[in-house]
Amino acid sequence: MTKPIETFVNRFNVSLQFDKNLIVKKQNRYFLISEALRKFVQRDFFYAGVYLGKVKERVFFPSFILLSMMAQGKANRIVVNDKAGWLFVCGRDVFKRGILSVIGSKKKDDYTLIVNQRSECLGFGKIMHNIEEVKERNKVVVRNISDIGDFLRRERHHE
Amino acid sequence: MSGKEFFVRRYQELGWIYREAELKPAIRVNTVNAKRDDVAKRLETQGVILEKIPFVENGFWVAKSEFSVGATAEYLLGLYSVQEAAAQIPAALFTDLKGKTVLDACAAPGGKTVQLADLMQNTGVIVALDVDRRRLRALSNQLERCHVKNTVVYQVDARKAGLLNVRFDRILLDVPCSGNFATDPRWFSRRTLEDVNRNAGLQRQILTEASKILADDGEIVYSTCSLEPEENELNIDWAIRTLKLEVEEVDCYGEKGLTNVFDRRLDSSVAKCRRIWPGPTQGFFVCKLRAGG
Repeated sequence: MTKPIETFVNRFNVSLQFDKNLIVKKQNRYFLISEALRKFVQRDFFYAGVYLGKVKERVFFPSFILLSMMAQGKANRIVVNDKAGWLFVCGRDVFKRGILSVIGSKKKDDYTLIVNQRSECLGFGKIMHNIEEVKERNKVVVRNISDIGDFLRRERHHE
Repeated sequence: MSGKEFFVRRYQELGWIYREAELKPAIRVNTVNAKRDDVAKRLETQGVILEKIPFVENGFWVAKSEFSVGATAEYLLGLYSVQEAAAQIPAALFTDLKGKTVLDACAAPGGKTVQLADLMQNTGVIVALDVDRRRLRALSNQLERCHVKNTVVYQVDARKAGLLNVRFDRILLDVPCSGNFATDPRWFSRRTLEDVNRNAGLQRQILTEASKILADDGEIVYSTCSLEPEENELNIDWAIRTLKLEVEEVDCYGEKGLTNVFDRRLDSSVAKCRRIWPGPTQGFFVCKLRAGG
């Protein structure tokens, strides 16, 4: 049942160990629950424990809690400056000039987390060029796939 | 029986002279995710001027900000929530929340659920209910944003909470209410005494259900953002007499609950409730109840 999650996480060159008995699925959404929560989670729940993400048209969309859990491990990540971080949260891509450091993969087409200088995860994206080969400061290095600004977009959507 | 004149006269009979409220936006730091003073510093670095709210532990009023505090990276990271000052009071009135089984009976959009999880340091279990599916999505987003881990959410009417077959150590009843003029400029033209009485009836049904599923040594915190005594003191007086609940003393901001409402004498223990007339906060009413002996 956890295969979509594991496959997604592995794309960041990291693995997370989940107790499969504590993962529950509601329609297309996955949740990680605690032992304490287990006896309170009945079949018709709406949300439970830690939301991990959902599968839509065979694609796994991670939650921001899952991305944060990955950021605590050794997942690929790019540390960006405050300005690039804010632009990323606003849905923009990451330019070379906003990058402070790269941890893990620098390879084109790999996935990477985007974190600020406090190691707080702002989202993730896809590396567009081999980073070491990029010399131009104004070149997009990471294409934004998902960022925490999504919470605001959802709020507006619900209004 | 409606209109500004009607309601303002009622407030005067209850001992309060109407005046406009001067509400300031407020935030509450989620201490599971960040230290209070660190969050304050991060916002102040961005030019936000904060004032500590004296009557809640982790709250600040936003005295000045060039941008919405509901749209910062710190907010999106779940380091704080935007929560009106008086609304930060009810969850903080419970004693000893860690490891407890807690019901948030009318939970959406989730500000107080997140606060409960924070007070519990993500231990124990919160069962959060609401009837409206759209509002449950908003609640779920709050839980995800603030990294809440100990909550299960159901689309269930609070009046049917007994269907869950759980006895709760703590029950938060932040019940649906008529609201107040401080947060709704059109309140006086939209509300009638009939609305108030209808809401009071619904609130009594919720109180009744909660009294059935409360653990023997459990606590209920009841709150509304209504100024109308039918939804507040009169309901609590009814709960004391009918449900055999007892009001417990609370140490919090606000005036004593009214014990004389439109010439009707209420149980003297209703004075242990707290009534907050609009001022720096919105109007609010809160009390703590226990099963009677």
